[in-house]
Amino acid sequence: MLLLFVYIGYVLLLLNLIIFFMGYSAQGRAYKIFTWYLAMTFVIQMVSKLLTMFHYQNLFTIHFYFIGQLVLLSIFYLAVLKEDYQKKVVKIGLVLGLILFAIQYGYDSSLFFKFNLFEIFVTSFLLIIYAIFHLFNMLNKKEEFYYINVGILMYLFGSSILYLVGNLTILMSTKMSLIIWTLNAGLYVVYQLFILFEWKKSFYKKVIKN
Amino acid sequence: MKNLAYEKEIVAIIFYTSGFFIVMAVVIVLFFYFSRKKIIQKEVEKKDLEIQYQKELLSAVIITQEEERKRIAQDLHDDISSKLNIVSLNSHLLTAPGLTESETIEITKTIIELTSKALDNSRKIAHGLLPPVLDKFGLHAGIEELCLEFSSSKAVEVQYENTSIFDSTDTDRHLHVFRILQELMNNSLRHGKASRISIFCEDNQEMKRLTYQDNGIGFDTSNTAMQKGLGMKNIESRVAFLKGEIIFTSSLNEGVSVVFSF
Repeated sequence: MLLLFVYIGYVLLLLNLIIFFMGYSAQGRAYKIFTWYLAMTFVIQMVSKLLTMFHYQNLFTIHFYFIGQLVLLSIFYLAVLKEDYQKKVVKIGLVLGLILFAIQYGYDSSLFFKFNLFEIFVTSFLLIIYAIFHLFNMLNKKEEFYYINVGILMYLFGSSILYLVGNLTILMSTKMSLIIWTLNAGLYVVYQLFILFEWKKSFYKKVIKN
Repeated sequence: MKNLAYEKEIVAIIFYTSGFFIVMAVVIVLFFYFSRKKIIQKEVEKKDLEIQYQKELLSAVIITQEEERKRIAQDLHDDISSKLNIVSLNSHLLTAPGLTESETIEITKTIIELTSKALDNSRKIAHGLLPPVLDKFGLHAGIEELCLEFSSSKAVEVQYENTSIFDSTDTDRHLHVFRILQELMNNSLRHGKASRISIFCEDNQEMKRLTYQDNGIGFDTSNTAMQKGLGMKNIESRVAFLKGEIIFTSSLNEGVSVVFSF
């Protein structure tokens, strides 16, 4: 069951990456950054998959995932958000977050091989705030990246809790921890479906025209 | 020892999870608070716009009224008063002693001529203000006459077709329709340089629908300066008075098409 969801997630991610890449040159900055975000997640997924295949520890890749996600989605929201104060919040949040992580890892590098609760908390929290900014802006303006935004919001809400209890799953029996990761993989599939839907709604026609 | 580490881990997780939920709850509450504020502000802006629009309509009505008065005053002064002046002068001449017969005939002839001209002009002015045919024979005949006037006197071909029947007791409303058409046709000629105009009236559910088209130069409907003209405002307020709806469709060099219901 877990493997099924994981593979569906991989396939959808690859599909999204390909279709987003197809319209790459004709689209705006936000679209391009989002394509890079998809590419980054795909590479990290593949690397961690390869690591498990060769029986290496792969948990450290999650930190690249979280921090990479924070950086790229912050830049994405910088391109999408219009108000100056919101952009300022995004910039400050990103810089402050990165500095805090650097200090933390410098202080205790063993965190690198565990789920870092502080990291999960800060990255999810910041991105949820940006997503809510965007939702707020769209109240009376043109809907732009609406479904992607909703997908990000939903996935972050769900997965953050699952990652927060991640360290516990190491102590649990494999059977029990599988439930949690299956749930996460399911959430990821839904997230990718939202991205696919966004592409269909907002960009499909433009690609055909080109 | 292992137990303690385990518990520490659990406490940390609980700490972060509850922290996460608390922060998110605050964010969501703030989100709703600001959204509400934003929505209320938008609503106030909308109402302000409506009020502004109504004020503009009202001032347009007043300005039009004043212009109409000025025009009537000018017409009366130029066409009638001046002629009556000469009539009165000539009448005084008649009372002068020692006039020959031929002189009397001459003066009388001038007087008769001028009075008939003044009469003619006063009829024209009255006709311009309210065409008697509209009053006597209804809207259909009124529009027909309007079309005839336009096609006979100016370089424009007017086509009129009507499949509806106008209720003769509804003359107040019909006057508005007539005025709208008058304004539209004047606009087509003056601004649109149209050479062909077509008017089509039909029944549409409970209402009647009138379709007006010309082949003039048209205008850009997104151009606000055009929408804010006096004539346009007048038309809009008349349609609002008729509780109907009006749709303008036009673009440069494509003519104008207007559909309104009444």
